[in-house]
Amino acid sequence: VSRLPPIAGELIDRTRPVDFSFEGRRCTGFAGDTISSALAANGISVLGRSFKYHRPRGLLSAANHDVNALVQVRAGGRSVPNVRADVVAVQPGWEIEAVNTRGGVSADRLAFINYLSPLLPVGFYYKAFHNKWLAQHWERMFRHLSGLGRVDLSASRRITPKRYDFCDVLVIGGGPSGLSAAVAAAGQGASVLLVDDNATLGGSGLYARSGDAERVHLTQALIERVRAEPRIRTLTDTYAAGYYADHWVALVAPECMIKVRAGGLVVAQGAWEQPAVFRNNDLPGVMLASGAQRLLYGQAVMSTRRLAVLTANSEGYSAALDALAHGADLAAVLDLRDAAGPRSRPAADELARRGVPLHYGVTPIEATSRGGGTLGGLQFHSTMTVARPGTSPDASVAPGAAGIRVPKRLDIDGLWMSVGFAPANALLHQAGARMKYQQDLEQFVPAQLPAGIYACGKVNGVYGLRERIEDGTDAGACAAATLRLGSTRPRAPAALPDESPTHAYPIFSHPRAKEFVDFDEDLQIKDLVNACQEGFDSSELLKRFSTVGMGPSQGKHSHMNALRILARVRGEPLEQLGMTTARPMFYPVPLSHLAGRGFTPERRTPLDAEHAALGAVFMPAGNWRRPEYYAAAGKSRVAAIAAEVEAVRTRIGIIDVGTLGKIEVHGPDAAEFLDRVYTARYANLKVGMTRYALMLDEAGVIIDDGVIGRLAAESFYFTTTTGNSATLFREFGRLAAWWGLSVGLVNLTGHYAAINLAGPASREVLQAHTRLDLSESAFPYLALREAAVAGAPCRIMRVGFVGELGYEIHLPAEHATHLWRALLATGASHGIRPFGVEAQRMLRLEKGHLIVGQDTDGLTNALEIDAPWALKLDKPFFVGQRSLRILGQQPRRQLLVGFTLPAGAPHAPKECHLVLDGGDIAGRVTSVGYSPTLQCCIGLALVKPAVAAGKALRIRIDGGALVDAAIAKLPFYDAAGARQRQIA
Amino acid sequence: MSAAMGLHFEQHAPRPRCGCKGPGAAGWLSSQGYRVPAAANSAELDPAGVLVARLATSEFLLEPIAGNADRVEATRAELTQRRQPVTVYPVTRQDLVVTINGDGLHALLRQICSVDFAPLLAAAATGGGPVVLTSMVGVGIVAWPRLIEVAGGAISPAVTLWCEPSYAHYFWNTLLEVGRDLASVTTGSKQ
Repeated sequence: VSRLPPIAGELIDRTRPVDFSFEGRRCTGFAGDTISSALAANGISVLGRSFKYHRPRGLLSAANHDVNALVQVRAGGRSVPNVRADVVAVQPGWEIEAVNTRGGVSADRLAFINYLSPLLPVGFYYKAFHNKWLAQHWERMFRHLSGLGRVDLSASRRITPKRYDFCDVLVIGGGPSGLSAAVAAAGQGASVLLVDDNATLGGSGLYARSGDAERVHLTQALIERVRAEPRIRTLTDTYAAGYYADHWVALVAPECMIKVRAGGLVVAQGAWEQPAVFRNNDLPGVMLASGAQRLLYGQAVMSTRRLAVLTANSEGYSAALDALAHGADLAAVLDLRDAAGPRSRPAADELARRGVPLHYGVTPIEATSRGGGTLGGLQFHSTMTVARPGTSPDASVAPGAAGIRVPKRLDIDGLWMSVGFAPANALLHQAGARMKYQQDLEQFVPAQLPAGIYACGKVNGVYGLRERIEDGTDAGACAAATLRLGSTRPRAPAALPDESPTHAYPIFSHPRAKEFVDFDEDLQIKDLVNACQEGFDSSELLKRFSTVGMGPSQGKHSHMNALRILARVRGEPLEQLGMTTARPMFYPVPLSHLAGRGFTPERRTPLDAEHAALGAVFMPAGNWRRPEYYAAAGKSRVAAIAAEVEAVRTRIGIIDVGTLGKIEVHGPDAAEFLDRVYTARYANLKVGMTRYALMLDEAGVIIDDGVIGRLAAESFYFTTTTGNSATLFREFGRLAAWWGLSVGLVNLTGHYAAINLAGPASREVLQAHTRLDLSESAFPYLALREAAVAGAPCRIMRVGFVGELGYEIHLPAEHATHLWRALLATGASHGIRPFGVEAQRMLRLEKGHLIVGQDTDGLTNALEIDAPWALKLDKPFFVGQRSLRILGQQPRRQLLVGFTLPAGAPHAPKECHLVLDGGDIAGRVTSVGYSPTLQCCIGLALVKPAVAAGKALRIRIDGGALVDAAIAKLPFYDAAGARQRQIA
Repeated sequence: MSAAMGLHFEQHAPRPRCGCKGPGAAGWLSSQGYRVPAAANSAELDPAGVLVARLATSEFLLEPIAGNADRVEATRAELTQRRQPVTVYPVTRQDLVVTINGDGLHALLRQICSVDFAPLLAAAATGGGPVVLTSMVGVGIVAWPRLIEVAGGAISPAVTLWCEPSYAHYFWNTLLEVGRDLASVTTGSKQ
């Protein structure tokens, strides 16, 4: 049994047992246990299999980045993959399984891959895909073998909220330095948000005890001060996953993502302990000393019977004292250095006094396994051993017959490693901090921090407990002072180390390899060396080719060691290599958190309820909801649409066009503004008239169109396409400011409704509701009038997108329903029919009118649509004019043409079907449909000029069949425009 | 849902409101007898119950928040008839107007908007004060943090929102959806 007697400050509740299963085995833990601590307490040390070689793996750090402690959890009808067993609290009834196994963690059928490792060199994935014939084979195999966990496809969607938060000072990290920073900042009047990724505050101040109660008391006193301070809010189980501009930090809490905007930032995230690299350093039982201390003081678990500590710093000696304090059989402390440093010395003396053998100048050779693939022993060399107090160091070089050093061996089932740290400085990097390598620390520390950002504690290169508290206090005070809370003060320099916490090169190669640098990706020393030798010898290239640091832990335990190997291979100082970018999100984030609650605004016109009552079948158009067509009893969709088309052509139809952008521009420069924005000329537009408007970008590409009407000398009203109104309104504002024109813009899009009445009977129906003279002479084609219709103040434009006599009536939204009903009632005797988007699209296609974005794309310029009448190139300026002049000197890239298929053609193309020319792609169909009016299939296509000059298009349709279409002159219907213009 | 918190959403009935814009707008409103806010993004509530909100520098929203709709209607008619010179012009406003209050207000605002309303609500008054032009649940809105009198005569922090009418259906339902996840929700309408 690995559970120890109660320990002061433990996080478990021994009165609340938790029953669960692991790989079918019944287990019991306590409330407050993590999955891995509960498993350790049940004597289970193999938690998973490694990613590539399927080697048995156990707990490494217990600090949220143990890739081999990812598990699948089934509970409450849900199955959740890749739960982090090292930090997630176990719950009653959970059925837990290891991921990445075939047949279970103890009998993984893929374990044989471990013996194939010589056949899987670094860059294997890239090299496998060089052969395009074998690539498919490899892809299938990789897809079959790789991947962690199984996604439960039957799981219902979780609506995860996202929320914003705000504070003066955000302190990230709740260890001693973060706690003191929070207290100091709050003491100066700042509102503080203190965030820690552990379940409790305190960090290493609570678990790195060295058997010294005073250290814990210091930390607990800080925690009490934090709790007593009303200006400090705390979030535990929450990690900062990314930094964005202006102190915007993404926090990942258990149930949601929190977006924090802070006035200042204190990063006190500490440092990640790093493993030593030697043969078989991945055997279950070999773990980081800090991880073992977390288990010891958090959950009162120590799962080893006989233990050694491999160290190169004072933290390792502290861990040894902690182990000893709780009854561990401590076989030895193995120091990579030739002697203990000044900070380590007191603990070393104490250990020696208590009879623990101390080995110096240690070179690990290999860890060996016992039954079940877990740690059974360690072979090593050492240059000196202190066996007991008062004895002199004895040389460990056993002078064999040939003078060869004889390796020593320890029979142990637990090895705690404490050989160095890597600063948790990802957020600082993301914030733009400049780092320098501090030789006496063997660590990158901040050299220059952005304004308002402070680092303290281990991430700042400060390791002593009291020094960290002082450093945090100073950082918190400075962060508050930056916000003018308290007096401004210079940041105190970080305390100088008296002993490096990190070994310069804790890496020991072995002829038979299996010295793991990256536990996520099963990368060994030789993999990184070989990658360098293949030319991938910069930090960025090495990362991409070898995949070091690209696994779930994102290099938290591998990045620094990989850099050390790279530095040695290149023969350069580590600081000259540079570090790879730690992009957000730097921690695993559940997809449900990223997805969160979706805010997808949907817009509705004021006539939406009317459409629903009339049987509308709705469709999305941009972010609007519009009627696609109106269902008719006994009619199919196609028949209903055809009937709507027929009504407009022969009688009268009515359509809600309220989704159009509706904008006013006022002011002495209003005409000048429109002349610059659009391609036509508006300075000479008469009051009461309208004109087509085509808008280009600077490259001459068509981006929008609409109609502009002149209300008064200095006032215009105009429309944009449905999807572009919001974007264009912002662009209009930008352009007006940029040009310095005296204009004011008003966006009426949602506040105004618009109804289009179209068809031969439209004049008669409209006339019944207005005193305005609608006669041809009084209200000609393209005229604009303001008048009351059915009592509502309206703007009426005589325009014809669908090619019939028609009136577009714009009015405040509050009057829309009344007018709609009135027009339908009056039109009933004329056979009026509401029509939807599909009928409108066919009607305009018959007229050859293009839809921007459908019949054009992101490259279609205004010279390619055969509309020279819309381009006033002789104007002084309009956006895109210069590009058009240049393009006009060049051959056209494509042209928009119309085409028809013979009546009765058995197969019709669809939009985006390709136009072919001798087997090559020569264009695509942009619009196509069956015209009820013309009784044949008609369409538009963007094609190469050579094809456009011909007589026919060859179109490849679904299934690969080819159909021939005749190129037709546009428009297909009423070429003279007699119907909409009402000319004889 | 946290049973401990409550939220009340009140939808204001359609009533005459209007906007105006232009370099002469502030002067014209003053000449009409309105108390015009001096600073951009702030509002004044005049004794007659009409809120004049200054949106940015030269655009104004007139809302008869506590009566006097006739006066606003007359102003709207006057504006509509003006044409030349173009120094002030009408801005048609058909907004959905919603007032939210309750002790779940802060929690709700932190889920739907990136603006920190806490200091604004802490400094809110029953009269004018700051107005915020921002985005909530993906929709551009005007927000007025204020204090309102609730049942029993108590004063409660509240926020009144103006939302473009085409978003009204989405906006109202999304606010209620988020609110119901957080608190016990009641709804009402204000005439």
